[in-house]
Amino acid sequence: MGLKVGIDFGTSNSGVAIYLGDQVHVLPIDSKNLVPEVVKTILYITQDYRHFIGQEAVELYYKQNINRQRRFVKKWAGEIDYRGSDMHYVRDIYVYVDELQPGRLLQFIKTALRSEKYRGTQVFERYYSLSDIISAYLSALKQRAEALLGEEISGVTLGRPVIFSRDGEQDQKAQNTLHQAALDAGFKQVDFELEPVAAALFYELSLSKPQNVLIFDFGGGTLDLTIMRLGDPHHRNVYVNGGISIAGSDFDRAIIEKRMLAHFGKELVQHDPEIVNLIHNLPDWAALPELSTPRAKAELERVIQAGEAPVRLKALESLIFNDLAFSFYNMIEATKITLSSRGVAVASMKEEDLDIWELYTRSQFEKDIREHREQIEQVLMDTVTASDLEPAQIDAVVKTGGSSNIPMFSDMLGRIFGNDKVKASDVFNSVTAGLAIKAYQK
Amino acid sequence: MISRDKIDEWIHEVEERPSSAGLIIRYIANRLSELASRDEELAAQNIELLSGRKVEEYESRITSLEYQLELLKRQLGGEVVLPTEMPSPTPIQEMINVLLYTPLGQVLRVEMDPTGLAPEKAIAKIAVEQPLDGIQPTVLVTSTTEELLFIFDSGRTVRLPATHLPTSNAEQLDWQGSFIEEPRIKEELAVIQPIAKMPIYETCIQASRRGYVKKMKTSFFTSHLDEDYIGSGVKLRADKTCGLNFANKDDLFVMVSQEGYIFSMQAERLPTAIEEVIRLGISDHIVAAFVASRKPSILFITQNGKAVHRDTSWLEPASSFKSKGQAILSKERREAGIRIVGAAPVDEADWGVFLHTDGILSAYKLNDLFARGSVVTGQPAVQILSFSVFHMPEIKE
Repeated sequence: MGLKVGIDFGTSNSGVAIYLGDQVHVLPIDSKNLVPEVVKTILYITQDYRHFIGQEAVELYYKQNINRQRRFVKKWAGEIDYRGSDMHYVRDIYVYVDELQPGRLLQFIKTALRSEKYRGTQVFERYYSLSDIISAYLSALKQRAEALLGEEISGVTLGRPVIFSRDGEQDQKAQNTLHQAALDAGFKQVDFELEPVAAALFYELSLSKPQNVLIFDFGGGTLDLTIMRLGDPHHRNVYVNGGISIAGSDFDRAIIEKRMLAHFGKELVQHDPEIVNLIHNLPDWAALPELSTPRAKAELERVIQAGEAPVRLKALESLIFNDLAFSFYNMIEATKITLSSRGVAVASMKEEDLDIWELYTRSQFEKDIREHREQIEQVLMDTVTASDLEPAQIDAVVKTGGSSNIPMFSDMLGRIFGNDKVKASDVFNSVTAGLAIKAYQK
Repeated sequence: MISRDKIDEWIHEVEERPSSAGLIIRYIANRLSELASRDEELAAQNIELLSGRKVEEYESRITSLEYQLELLKRQLGGEVVLPTEMPSPTPIQEMINVLLYTPLGQVLRVEMDPTGLAPEKAIAKIAVEQPLDGIQPTVLVTSTTEELLFIFDSGRTVRLPATHLPTSNAEQLDWQGSFIEEPRIKEELAVIQPIAKMPIYETCIQASRRGYVKKMKTSFFTSHLDEDYIGSGVKLRADKTCGLNFANKDDLFVMVSQEGYIFSMQAERLPTAIEEVIRLGISDHIVAAFVASRKPSILFITQNGKAVHRDTSWLEPASSFKSKGQAILSKERREAGIRIVGAAPVDEADWGVFLHTDGILSAYKLNDLFARGSVVTGQPAVQILSFSVFHMPEIKE
C-alpha cells in the first residue's frame, strides 16, 4: 500500500501535500520556482513527446521558441464528405503546419474542463484528448512527489471547484475526465473534495472552538464559496456551496481588452476585417497560437506596407509571430499582482518591434473590473442568503487563492462582514493542505 | 499613447491614494529618460540617413550579397535555393581594388586594405622603365566583391568578377605582367564600369565623349548584357563611349568636360535615343559622367592638381539639350590651359586615389584635400592623369 496525497490541480498553480496525522507537509515540488511549494499548471510537450511542467516547462519554452524561425508546410489534415441529393464527393483538407515548431505549451488546462466544446488538441502527429493532457501533467506531478517522498504514491484526493458547470451533466463529465486522467497518471485510488471545503479543513486546524466560516476561495479560474460549521470534526456541517466562473484570468482579459489592444492597432485599423479579428482575438490566450498562420502574416505585411498603423501592427506581428504570447500574458498577470500591494504598476514589454509601456493604477484596474465585482458581490450575498445565516452570524471569512489578495475584494468582505472577521489563509497552499488532510482521513 | 483620459485617471488615483503620486512621477520620469535617450539615438540615425552614409552602407551590403549570390549561381550552374537557416555570416575584412587600365585592354589590379592607407602618400608606382608615353591609363577604385563590365568602343562588353584579375605588386606595377582583355580589330577599351549595384537602379545611362547620351531601362540593359553587346552609344564616327551610369528617375545625371563645362539633368528627362545633350567646343570632350544625387558635393580635379569642391546644390540642371553647359573654370583659367581631368560626387569621409604622370598613385583623405586645395604632384612637370574616389569602409570592433 503506497502513500496518499492531496493535489490541488489549479487553473494557474497546483500543489501536492501529504498529511501523516500530525502536520501537513506541502511538498517543494518545483525547485526552480520562487515558491517551490507551488508549481505552475503549465505543460510543455516537445516534438519527441516528452512532458515538462511548471517552471521547467516555462524555461524550455522560452529557450526553444522566442524569436525562433518558422517554416510553414502544407499538410493533409483529413477529408470532408459532401453529400447532396444526387451527388457525393470527397474533398481533401490541408492545413499549414509550422514544421520547425519545437514544442507546444499548454496553459489554463483546468479551464478546458468547464468547456463543453473542448475535446483535445493535435500535438504534432499525436492527438491529445483533454484527459491525456491532464494525465500527462498529473503524471509528472506524481513522479516529482514520489522522488521527494522516496515512496510510491497510490492514492490521491483531488480538489475540484464547487461548480465546474451550471449544467449538471457537464459538471459530472468534467469530474469524470479529471478522474480518468488521475487513473491514467497511475493513481490507483482517486477521490474528490470541494476546494473551499479543503481550505476549511486546513483552517480548522487553527480553531479552538466551533465557528461559522465562509471560505472565499478566489483563484485563477473560479470563485468558490462555502459556508461551513467548523471546529468540531465530528459535527462539521456544510450550510451551502456557491460560486461563479469569474476569477484571475478574467481580470487579465479585462486588462488586455481595455488597456492593451490600443497598442496593437485597435481603433486605428477599422477597415480590414482580418486584422481587426487578429486584434480582437488577443485577449483569448488559447486562440493566439492559432493566429500565426502564413495568411495572417501576409495580410499584416500588406497593411503595414500600405502604411496603416505600421508601428502598432508591427508590434502585433511581433507578438503573434515571435511566440511572445506567453510573455505577454505573464506580464499582464504580473502587473495585476503588483496592484495588490501598490497603487501603481507599469505594464511594460520590450521585444523586437514591440514596446509596450502602460502606466496602470489600482483605480483604473478597479474601474476595468467593476462589472465582475458587482457579479461577485451578488453571488456572495446570494450564497450567504442561501445559508440561512445573516452576515453577522458568520464568525470568520477565510480568504484563499491568488485573486483573494486583490484589495477591492478584501475591502468588499470587510465592508459586509467586518474587517476583524476577514482572515488571510495561506494563499496558495491552504487548499492543497486541506486536500492532504482529507486524503489522510479517507 | 498617453491620452487626456489616462492622465485624468492617474490624477484620480492620486486623489484616491496620495501615496501613489511618488510612484507615478518616478515611473513617468524613468520612461521620459528612456525615451529621451532613444530619441537621441533616432536623431543620430536620421542624420546618417540624411547624409547618405547609411544608404551607402546598405547599398554596399546589398551589392556584396548580390555579388555572392551571383557567384553561387555561377558555381552551381543555375538558380540557387537558399537554405532557410543561414549560418550567421563571418565578418569579412573589406578590401579595395585599385585598377589601372588602358585603351589597349591592359589592366593592373592592386588589392589594398583601405584602413592601412597613409594619406598624402604614394600607395603604388608604375615601373619607371615603362613610361606612360602615349598611353592614357585610367584609375578606378572598387570593392573586391565587384563585378566589372569591360565596355569597348564598338559596344562589345565583357563581364568579369574583380577577383578574376591577377593582383600586381604595388611597389612596381608592370604593364608587361598586366591582365589583358584584348580588343578586337579597330577596337579600344573605353571604360570599365562596376555593375554589382545595377539591379537596384531603374535606368542605365550611356554617355559619349562628345556629349551624347542615351538611357534605357535596367531590365532591357541586362538582356543586352547577356548578349555581350550594349551598342556603341555614339552617332558621330569620331565619337566614343566614355561612361555608363545607373540611376533612378529622380537622380541627377552629370557630365563634365575637359574644358570645364558641366551638363546636369534629372535622369527621367534624359533621351532614350542617342542624343547630343551638351554642345562641346571642337577640342573639348567629356572626362567624367556620374550620378550626383547620392552625395552632398562634387570634386573636380584639374591636370595641375587643383581640387575644386562644390556642393551638389550648386549644379544648375539644364532645361534643354544641346546647351553649352555650366562653367566651372573661368575664361582666363581656361585660356591659360587649365583642364579638368576628372570629377566625382563625394562626401567628406571619402578618399581619392590619384594617378600622376610620373606613374605614382597617391591617396588622399578628401576632407584633408578640401582644406589643402590641391594634390601634391612633387615636381611642377608632373600632372594628374586620372583619379577615382572610394568610401572608406567603417571599421567595426
